[in-house]
Amino acid sequence: MAEVKLTNVKKQYDNGFVAVHDFNLEIKDKEFIVLVGPSGCGKSTTLRMIAGLEDISDGEISIGENVVNDMEPKDRDIAMVFQNYALYPHMSVYENIAFGLRLRKVPNDEVHEKVCHAAEILGITELLGRKPKQLSGGQRQRVAIGRAIVRVPKVFLMDEPLSNLDAKLRNQMRAEIILLREKIQTTFVYVTHDQTEAMTLGDRIVIMKDGYVMQVGTPQELFNHPANLFVAGFIGTPQMNFFDAELKKNGSRYSAYVNGAEVAVPEYINEALAKRDIVPEKITLGVRPENLIICDDNTPNSIKADVKVTEMMGSEIHIHAVYAEGKKIILKVQIADMDDQEQVDLLKRTTLSFTLRERTINLFDSEDGRNLAVENAVPVPKKQETVSVAEEVKDKKKGRKK
Amino acid sequence: MSKYTSKSGKERFVRTAIYVFLTALCIIWLIPFVYLIFQAFRGESTSMVTYIVPKQWSLVNFQVLFTETNFLKWYGNTFIIALCNAVLQTVIVLCVAYALSRMRFKGRKLLMNIMLVLGMFPGFLSMIATYFILKLFGLTSENSVPGLILIYAASSGMGYYIAKGFFDTIPKSLDEAARIDGASRSRVFFRIIMPMAKPIIIYTIMMAFIAPWGDFMYASLISFGHEQAYNVAVGLYKWLDKEHINSYFTIFCAGGLFVSIPVTALFMALQKYYVEGVTGGAVKG
Repeated sequence: MAEVKLTNVKKQYDNGFVAVHDFNLEIKDKEFIVLVGPSGCGKSTTLRMIAGLEDISDGEISIGENVVNDMEPKDRDIAMVFQNYALYPHMSVYENIAFGLRLRKVPNDEVHEKVCHAAEILGITELLGRKPKQLSGGQRQRVAIGRAIVRVPKVFLMDEPLSNLDAKLRNQMRAEIILLREKIQTTFVYVTHDQTEAMTLGDRIVIMKDGYVMQVGTPQELFNHPANLFVAGFIGTPQMNFFDAELKKNGSRYSAYVNGAEVAVPEYINEALAKRDIVPEKITLGVRPENLIICDDNTPNSIKADVKVTEMMGSEIHIHAVYAEGKKIILKVQIADMDDQEQVDLLKRTTLSFTLRERTINLFDSEDGRNLAVENAVPVPKKQETVSVAEEVKDKKKGRKK
Repeated sequence: MSKYTSKSGKERFVRTAIYVFLTALCIIWLIPFVYLIFQAFRGESTSMVTYIVPKQWSLVNFQVLFTETNFLKWYGNTFIIALCNAVLQTVIVLCVAYALSRMRFKGRKLLMNIMLVLGMFPGFLSMIATYFILKLFGLTSENSVPGLILIYAASSGMGYYIAKGFFDTIPKSLDEAARIDGASRSRVFFRIIMPMAKPIIIYTIMMAFIAPWGDFMYASLISFGHEQAYNVAVGLYKWLDKEHINSYFTIFCAGGLFVSIPVTALFMALQKYYVEGVTGGAVKG
């Protein structure tokens, strides 16, 4: 139950590789923060720095009122659930959960009471006498969580806790984590590479790439107004469609032209563009697959496309198509209102025309990938220049020797 | 049908051949030991003879061994050295191995490389130097028992490889989980890692006990000329001198029999762990 504050946090390894650049985040009390990104983006490193398992190269981390940069993990009053559970194999489930309390010299009666309470919350009371190797994956995960919640820590850290479970169990545990969160009101920091977990669990999501924070925001903000092309492509399945477009001003309003078709720019983007000094002409226009609407071929401002593959997903159909310039797009069509024949017809189509749901479009600078309508958007990082950084470190070392 | 018989016949032949070969090998291996036992119980003379089975069985050799020689003293010396070394070396080896496996500090790689290279030189290269250093501290001759303990234990950290290999297979996240649970580094080592490292602890203890138990080279140099400070290997070997061999040979055999007892017992009792320990470094535990 505490705020966590990360100020200009940086992590550089001895070989010069920078895993996290200038990370800034204020996590509110009892907030559920999810760090998400592709592997190698620095999300786990950030979590481990909060836990105290990695040194901080630069910057400051505070939990509650205390700056914890040089504090041992045991003194930070945190709990952590690991991807591989990290249960002590020689101890029973009971002892696994009680271990942290025993180290803190909690009296036996109290230990017993707390362990039983934690086991009850997680529904593992009947497993208390077993050894970890006698448990299934889901049960082990519960024990790992039990070990963390028994102490009522200030901050609850979870490092990809569900990624070792099979798909069905993962969904179930995800729901349980949501319930758990209501039961034990505390601050959560959750690391995952799975965007579904991020979207469903987080109050706010931090998206990272190559050690940089790409965007911090609520799931809704991230989904509807991604700050740059990376966020736009990372959140949402199937991925957002990107069109090369030209931005032109017609009177006071802007319009984007995709392959000759005019797309009116929504009001809020117009306002944002009006505030900018320079408005780029060549832009990338992003639209989610569900916001491409199939229409008659002669509809004005429609775009024609050749269908390559259709996928029947049950409640929706995904259509992979190629539009005029040979660029790939995906359309997602809800089929709840279609009868069987209409669905078959749709699946058999070879060409189609579509328009864009104008309200939902996002405009990105083609150069640096930033969303033109999001303030303080972060550009998509280019390939990290590890070599130059490594050389810098070498130079520094040489300098020291001199 | 005949095809199958011929195949299984061939297989049977190969198998028989293998067993015959292995049995022969076992017998050859066992001959010296059986010979030693027979000689230890031989009563008719104490000199070397050309036959194996004694003409007269007797326990007189053991009687002489325990009452008229320094054997018990030597045995005690060796036992104290081996026991102390077993404790010291196990503690040192496990600590070094754990530190090298888990901690990242400046010069770690260098240290490991140096130990690897140093380990390639036989230990007795430094014997003369070691002798003079120990002499400086007065730990030779009559004080060679503590001196030898010091020698064996001092270099023991270099034998960290197998234990480190074992620790490397224990997931690091266990340490991390324990540290977050509130354990200090040493507590993680003793409460989490040690209970899981039973095979490697036993392996290390056995190695640490056996090495000084059978050591001859250092022991003979350090305890030179002081019969009271000999260990069994040195003491027994003196009986094989030209002037002693005919009066002490059977007694030597009786002594040899006694020397082999603790090691054999240790091996038999801990065999299971020993195998686990040796393979533990390579196979994920």
